[in-house]
Amino acid sequence: MIELDGVVQEYPKPGGGILRVVDGIDLSLDKPGITMLLGPSGCGKSTILRMMGGVRPLNVVTPTQGEVRIDGERCDGPHDDAVMVFQRYANRPDLSVRENVAFPFRLGLWRSKVPASEQKERVDRILEQVGLADKAELRPAQLSGGQNQRVALARALVLQPRILLMDEPFGALDAQTREEMQELLSDLIEANPCVVVFVTHDVTEALLLGDRVLVLSTQPATIADDFLIDEPRPRSALWQRSTEAVEMEERILKQLHASGKGQVRVSL
Amino acid sequence: MWNPYDALDANTRRMLGAGAVVVVLGVWCLLSGLDLVSANKLPAPWEVAEAFVHLAWNPDKGESPLGAATAASLSRVAVAALLLIAVGVPIGILMGASTRVNAALSPLVDPFRSAPIVAVLPILVMWLGIQESMKITFLFLGAVVYLIPMVRDAVRAVPPTYYISARDLGATPWESIRHAVVPMAMPRIADAVIVAVSIEWTYITVAEYVNAEVGLGQLMSHARRFSAMDQVFAAIFVIIGLALVTHTAMTAVKKRLYDWELE
Repeated sequence: MIELDGVVQEYPKPGGGILRVVDGIDLSLDKPGITMLLGPSGCGKSTILRMMGGVRPLNVVTPTQGEVRIDGERCDGPHDDAVMVFQRYANRPDLSVRENVAFPFRLGLWRSKVPASEQKERVDRILEQVGLADKAELRPAQLSGGQNQRVALARALVLQPRILLMDEPFGALDAQTREEMQELLSDLIEANPCVVVFVTHDVTEALLLGDRVLVLSTQPATIADDFLIDEPRPRSALWQRSTEAVEMEERILKQLHASGKGQVRVSL
Repeated sequence: MWNPYDALDANTRRMLGAGAVVVVLGVWCLLSGLDLVSANKLPAPWEVAEAFVHLAWNPDKGESPLGAATAASLSRVAVAALLLIAVGVPIGILMGASTRVNAALSPLVDPFRSAPIVAVLPILVMWLGIQESMKITFLFLGAVVYLIPMVRDAVRAVPPTYYISARDLGATPWESIRHAVVPMAMPRIADAVIVAVSIEWTYITVAEYVNAEVGLGQLMSHARRFSAMDQVFAAIFVIIGLALVTHTAMTAVKKRLYDWELE
């Protein structure tokens, strides 16, 4: 479904010279499920995700080398089947929750793709699924951070994307809300199967959510480790303390330490 | 005392504001009452009040010179304000939405912020004559050179996340501007319009200097010709009052329209 082929990204350094942030990433994802991109903050993982979403940092050619393909076709801009959820949720403060979720239907592309009657149905269903049906008429300022992120998530899922790209979506939330959101995401993916690529610097989050975990080295980002987790979600506290989970965690941390600088988080 | 974030309660704020006005009025009364300054240069407050009453109603003719002047000036400011919104806001939005448009238009707009716009008046008289269109064009030009850059900056101040996220959802670049960027910029655009209309009030006397049959500026230049300083002062206070009322009303409308504005 989505492939990265020899992707390299370089940025011009402010003082001159070139900084390579991503180096030779090959990756192919075709089955629904959650793939975690785990790496230290600033390692270039968001850059990789943005390439997959076709979100181009202004004024820089991306990728510098290689290509991103969706269904075998080179992908140079935003793709209808790939939708991104940002850490800063980008909800419009002047619109209600319902209007925010229905926002894509203001755009010509989705108005022509989804008939009006189905639009409302989809919005109602997804509001129910993210648990905001009773808050549909409120405005973002009246919601908590977690609820705002639910709005952003609903706005993405209302388009029924085949690829959902999440850029540290829960990074700004407190520990308890983050846990709730992780559970919610896992339920949502159950109900709306799609390829999820989830960027995080939180080792515990990667182990809780990932069907597959890609550990990235830092500056430039390369795939340092790549493994599968078979345990079904939700993953209990007991499983997290199991030998299997602890070994995985150690394996990840060792890998990250080997690659040097940068910050990761292990939440308990 | 020296704390810029101190929350001042409404009473203290009003007391301090009224206090300052009272002090200035008091000094003014002293200066006039003790004849420290000639009445030709600074009329006494009570003389200004008398002039105000005199201008407000002329019993001989059965008309209100001040009322007629106010209506005339107000309608000029209002027409110029509508033009300002219809022309200045769209141009500012286009400049804010595209670095190319901005690069092309900013040399035509930005230098005029520091240009002596008053010096343009004789040119406008040459081009447009001495009637209404000249006065309204002058008010419009004087304020629009400030409005356009402010609107552009309001659009640019919207965090890029909104644009990027709309683009990612499948919006065309123009749809992203229209549905994600401009709505977010509207409160600051409204602030810019309010400032621009205030600027119009400061230009009204100049606009009405040439061949005005009626208007507050005309009233003032007429009074000045007859050395009626008390009437000049009265007219100045009326203009300040009108500017204040316009500002307050527009701010109230803005707060209602954009009640979601984030601090």
